[in-house]
Amino acid sequence: MDIGFMIDIFPVILSKLPVTLYIFTVTAVISLVLGVLMAFVELKRVPVLKQIFDIYSSFVRSTPGIVHIFIVYYGLPVFLAPFGISPSAIDRLTSSIVALVFYTVAFISAVIKPSIKAMPQSQFDAAASVGMTRWQSLRRIIIPQLVPMTLPSLTNAMVDLLMDTSLLFTIGLTDLMGQANILVSNTLGINQVEIFVTVALIYWALSSMITAVMRFFEKRLAHYLR
Amino acid sequence: MLQLDHIYKSYGDHHVLKDINLHVDQGDVVSLIGPSGTGKTTLLRTINYLEPADKGTITINGISVNTEKAKQSDIIKLRRQTAMVFQNYSLFRNKTVLENVTEGLTIVQGKSKEEAEEIAIREISRVGMADNVDKYPYQLSGGQQQRIGIARAMALNPSVILLDEPTSSLDPERSAEVMRILQNLAELGTTMLITTHEMEFAKHVSNKVVFMENGHIVEEGSPDQIFQNPVEERTRQFVRKLEKPLNVD
Repeated sequence: MDIGFMIDIFPVILSKLPVTLYIFTVTAVISLVLGVLMAFVELKRVPVLKQIFDIYSSFVRSTPGIVHIFIVYYGLPVFLAPFGISPSAIDRLTSSIVALVFYTVAFISAVIKPSIKAMPQSQFDAAASVGMTRWQSLRRIIIPQLVPMTLPSLTNAMVDLLMDTSLLFTIGLTDLMGQANILVSNTLGINQVEIFVTVALIYWALSSMITAVMRFFEKRLAHYLR
Repeated sequence: MLQLDHIYKSYGDHHVLKDINLHVDQGDVVSLIGPSGTGKTTLLRTINYLEPADKGTITINGISVNTEKAKQSDIIKLRRQTAMVFQNYSLFRNKTVLENVTEGLTIVQGKSKEEAEEIAIREISRVGMADNVDKYPYQLSGGQQQRIGIARAMALNPSVILLDEPTSSLDPERSAEVMRILQNLAELGTTMLITTHEMEFAKHVSNKVVFMENGHIVEEGSPDQIFQNPVEERTRQFVRKLEKPLNVD
C-alpha cells in the first residue's frame, strides 16, 4: 500500500468533511426533536397519528436506507410540484437531509420509547403535585432524566447515522465518500485501496469522537441516577 | 375550606369511591383510616387530580371544580391549592435537596431564585435537613427523603397538604421522626389530610378521623368518638382489632 499517496490525498478527502458534518448535525438535531415527539405520541396512543406512525415505523425499519434516499431524491420534486415548488429549489443537500431524517426518526423513536416507559410514574406525579403544567414537568423533570437514560442507545443511533451519510454519494453528493469516489475516477482506479482505507480511517476517527462526546455527556448528566 | 361533594371513581367495574362527601376546615388535621384497599389513597389522589374522579365536585379555598367538565386550566388552579407528600417520597431524582424544594416556588409560583431559596432553607431547616441541601435524593435515607418531601410541600404554602401514608415505608424510628415533624406542623395550624395506619397519630394529633371501607366513608368524628365511642358497628370492629392486634385471648 502506498502510504505516501494516502498522506497526499488525506487533505483532499478531508476538505469535504464540512459537508458530511453539516448533513450529520442537521439530520441529528431534526431527527432527535421529531423522534422524541413521535415516541410521546405513540406512547400516548394518540388516535390516527399512532396508526400512521406504526405503519411508517414498520416501513422504514424494514426497507434499506439507500432505497429511501432514491425515493426522496427522485420523489421529492414530484411530490412538491403541485405545491408550486420547482424541482430546482430542491438541491441534493436538501434531499439528503430529508431522506436521512425520514430514516433516522423511526430509529430514534424506537430507542427513546423504552426509556420513557421506564420512567417511574412517581416522577410525573410529583411534578404535577407541585402544580407544574405538563410541559413544565417534561422540561424540568422528565426530559432531563430521560437524556442520560437514552444516551447509550442514542450513541449507537448517531454512529449509524454517520455511516448512513456515506450512502449519499449515490445521488451525486460530494461528501467524504463522494470525494473518495471522485478520486478513484481521477486516478483511473489504480489506488482504490489507499483511497478507501483513508476514507475508512476518517470515518473511524469521527465515530470515535461522537462516541467519546456522548460518553462525556452521559457521565456528566447521569451523576444523579443510581 | 376543602369540600368534596358526591365524589365517585371506578376502574372498570371496580367502584373505588362511592359518593364521598367530606368537609375540612382550615387548620384541621384529618386522618383517613381504614383497611388497605378501601380507597383512601385514591380519594387523596382525586383531590389534587392525580386521579380524575368520574363524578362530583371538589372545592378548595373557593375554587370549585366539577369533575365531569373540568378544563386543564381548572385542574392546574385547583392543584396549586394543594401539595402532596407521597408514600415513596417521590423526590425529583435529577434535583438536589434545595432544588427539590425551590422548583415549585420558581417554576410554578414565579418567585425569584433568592426568595425561593430563602423559603426553601427555612423549610429544610424546619425538618432538620439543613446540612444536606446539596445532596441528591439517592444519597439520602428514606426518612431523610420523606422529610424533604414534607419541606417541599410546606414551602408551597398550600391551602391543604395531602399526605399519602407518609411513614409506611419507614422503620419505626424514622417513622417516629417524621410523625414528630408532622405534629409540629399541626401545631403551626397547617391543614392536613393524611391517610395513615399510625393510630397514635390519628388519636393524638388529628382533630378529625374519617373511617373508610369499601369506597365509603363509614363514620367520621373526633378521635375520641371514633376510638372510644364509635357509632357504627363496623368502626367498632375495626377499632377493637387495633386494640388487640394479636388476638391472644
